[in-house]
Amino acid sequence: MPTVTIDGIAVTVEKEQTILYAAKKAGIWIPTLCYNPSVTALAECRLCMVELDRGKYTQLVTACNYPVRRDLTVSVSSERAVRARRGVMELLLARAPESLELKVLAARMGVFGTPYPTVTESQRNCILCGLCVSVCDEVMGCSAIGFAGRGTDRAVATPFRMASDGCIACGACAVVCPVGTIQIRIHEEEGEVEISPFKSRAKLLVCEECGKKMVTEPVAKQMMDRVNINWDEFRERARLCPECRRKKTAEAAGLIASKIGAE
Amino acid sequence: MKVEGRIASKAEFERLQKDLGKKADTAAKVVRVCIGTGCAAKGSRRLYELFCEAAKKSGTGVTVEAKPVGCHGFCERGPIVVVQPGNIIYQGVEEPDVGEIFRETVVGGRVVERLLYEDPESGKKAETEDEIPFYNAQKRIVLAENGRIDPTSISDYIAAGGYSALAKVLSGMSPEEVIEEVEISGLRGRGGGGFPTARKWRSCREAEGPERYVICNGDEGDPGAFMDRSIMEGNPHSVLEGMIIGAYAIGASKGYIYVRNEYPLAVEHLKNAIVQAREAGFLGEEILGTSFCFDIRINRGGGAFVCGESTALIASLEGRAGEPRAKYVHTVERGLNDMPTNLNNVETWANVPAIINRGGKWFSSIGTEGSKGTKVFSLVGKVVNTGLVEVPMGMTLRQIVEKIGGGVKDGKKFKAVQTGGPSGGCIPSDQLDARVDFDELTKLGSMMGSGGMIVMDEDTCMVNVAHYFLNFLKEESCGKCTPCREGIAQMLAILDRISKGEGKEGDIEMLESLAHLLSETALCALGKTAANPVLSTIRYFKDEYEAHISEHRCPAKVCRDLFIYEIDPEVCTGCGICKKNCPEEAITGERREPHVIDQNKCTKCGTCFDKCPFTAIMKV
Repeated sequence: MPTVTIDGIAVTVEKEQTILYAAKKAGIWIPTLCYNPSVTALAECRLCMVELDRGKYTQLVTACNYPVRRDLTVSVSSERAVRARRGVMELLLARAPESLELKVLAARMGVFGTPYPTVTESQRNCILCGLCVSVCDEVMGCSAIGFAGRGTDRAVATPFRMASDGCIACGACAVVCPVGTIQIRIHEEEGEVEISPFKSRAKLLVCEECGKKMVTEPVAKQMMDRVNINWDEFRERARLCPECRRKKTAEAAGLIASKIGAE
Repeated sequence: MKVEGRIASKAEFERLQKDLGKKADTAAKVVRVCIGTGCAAKGSRRLYELFCEAAKKSGTGVTVEAKPVGCHGFCERGPIVVVQPGNIIYQGVEEPDVGEIFRETVVGGRVVERLLYEDPESGKKAETEDEIPFYNAQKRIVLAENGRIDPTSISDYIAAGGYSALAKVLSGMSPEEVIEEVEISGLRGRGGGGFPTARKWRSCREAEGPERYVICNGDEGDPGAFMDRSIMEGNPHSVLEGMIIGAYAIGASKGYIYVRNEYPLAVEHLKNAIVQAREAGFLGEEILGTSFCFDIRINRGGGAFVCGESTALIASLEGRAGEPRAKYVHTVERGLNDMPTNLNNVETWANVPAIINRGGKWFSSIGTEGSKGTKVFSLVGKVVNTGLVEVPMGMTLRQIVEKIGGGVKDGKKFKAVQTGGPSGGCIPSDQLDARVDFDELTKLGSMMGSGGMIVMDEDTCMVNVAHYFLNFLKEESCGKCTPCREGIAQMLAILDRISKGEGKEGDIEMLESLAHLLSETALCALGKTAANPVLSTIRYFKDEYEAHISEHRCPAKVCRDLFIYEIDPEVCTGCGICKKNCPEEAITGERREPHVIDQNKCTKCGTCFDKCPFTAIMKV
């Protein structure tokens, strides 16, 4: 197994693991935004730059997707690496000035503001890291959102920027969004969930027993379609809220217990 | 004589080549009409038809052949017609000239003086290419047959020695020997990066995978560049032959040519060439009777500049959005469909047959220590002779601009030459003795790139130039990574400000730091080099930036917000031409009296400046 020496700390990792993985193992923090272990690392945000020693020269690489294939010497704290990460963060702060999450991450990196003017409003706050797009595609299998436009016009959007049937309003995109731009809004009166800013809405499933709102209908349907179980009650119980479900389970258990007792 | 059916062996090929060569010698009179895009735009297709008609009607007893040929390079003087025997070159030929050329030169053997190239200095007329400075300082390897052979005819290509390199390779060279020959030649990638071709081929050959691919990058996108287009249009078989040899060396079974859809003639000629090569047995199963199988297909690109980047091109080939990916795992290892893939540029492929035919040693005898062979440039901008030039590596920029290009147009002063496309840089006059060489141009803050060369004169504002290229890159950035998407936009905003006279102290430093950030952190080469135009103009023309910022002055009087048009009352004759042409009615004045421009109405369109016959209008 190759050895990765990061800021003087040596760790061994399996071949094809990343520098980021090695750094975690060495207990060294590298800031990331577009990295999430559940999806392919695309290295779009460029925040995790580290300096790789190539012998005759050094080179900046992204830690999240640089594969370890032989022994490597990496510097996270070198001046060059720190300056690169700072520079990227300053550009991101100009793009998403209202994100608390980003400010906190920046502060942890020692960046407390940006010298650049804020970008226009239409593009503000989404840093286009692409995690939402990847999770929707690779994990949920929905591909309800994708990148539209190029360059500065690039945006994450549903097809034709209209509410999309492909979206099951599961909220996975909102969960992985590192800057809190994607939000799940509950519309109590209509009993609907909206994934903002994609305008996609879905009805909430109501507990058949107590009427409490649970997951969205398409999510429940997708789950039903996927679970291949030869047990009728599964479908019934899936339509109950967790509390009612537990009651039902207890009841069933009690019934069996009393039956056993009676015999 | 035509190529009929598949050629099954080297012996059969050599017989055919001999016969075709003989036939080419007997056709005594040939009229070659350039149908490259440049000349075609000036109506050369019609000229070709007229020559064909004339040839048919001619009852002279001698066979006359009219032949459509690819770009000669001297597009400035197109349409170009060359008459054999004598290789008399006529320039600026128009429809009414056809009759005269045919009567006088083809039939009569006399030269039509008025259609000859005239040296602007000595006034001497040139009858053949060799007498024209534009041509005689060039060295043509890749473009050698451009302008001589009919690009739609495989027989023409074979008669000129085409496919003999392939026959040589398949009849006696092992793949490793082919790679060694290319290694000896010192050939480096002509697409911009300058990576040693043989090393790339070998890495791809050694990479593991059930299938290997070769790709030809014909997605030429630099503004003003048309080297690859002319090769694909003018000599498509040379590209195919290079690819087939490369595929044999690498062990590839499939090849792709990625060519932009804006090059319809290139697409047409390539398609036609592939069909012909298949019929002749140079493509497909059991090529030339050997066990080697390989085929090529064309993929047309939608015109995104970034698709010239290898990984973006591959993504586009796979049907995904043309966006680059990290190259930590090289494409020679995992490229198209995750298979080992070797991608080379059009010009690189087109060099291969010559290297095999004449030997790597011969090729490496041309050029400099680190850059071998020749390079094709499209010489454009404020230069007398614009066009396509092929020069040996190591020629100085001065020789190209002054000797081949004939110097700066209209007697203006030279200011800079921009090489390497949008990601290249501007080289000033005091560096004009720099030699054309991958490493030397990089040292100067520019790069070889794919071969764009734009000459700029004293009327060029370097802030404006940087703005132009950066704006191009902003439009062409795919937007995938933060530094390229955000950084270019931020830099452009600063340049906008500077060219409006609203620049601030510290702007130059901020541009430099953003440029540095881009080169350090961007995902692909497009982003990494995007700041070159800004960096090189700051490096060599900092005073112009400072004049814009601290004096609110554009020294070249290009930035509209930083100068006004005024009429010199001493010179103005009151002819009224400016007044008549002003679209804003901003000019007033009585006849024969000096006129005046109303600065509130003037939009600085510059019409009056261009129209005034007395140069009475000044930029102040």
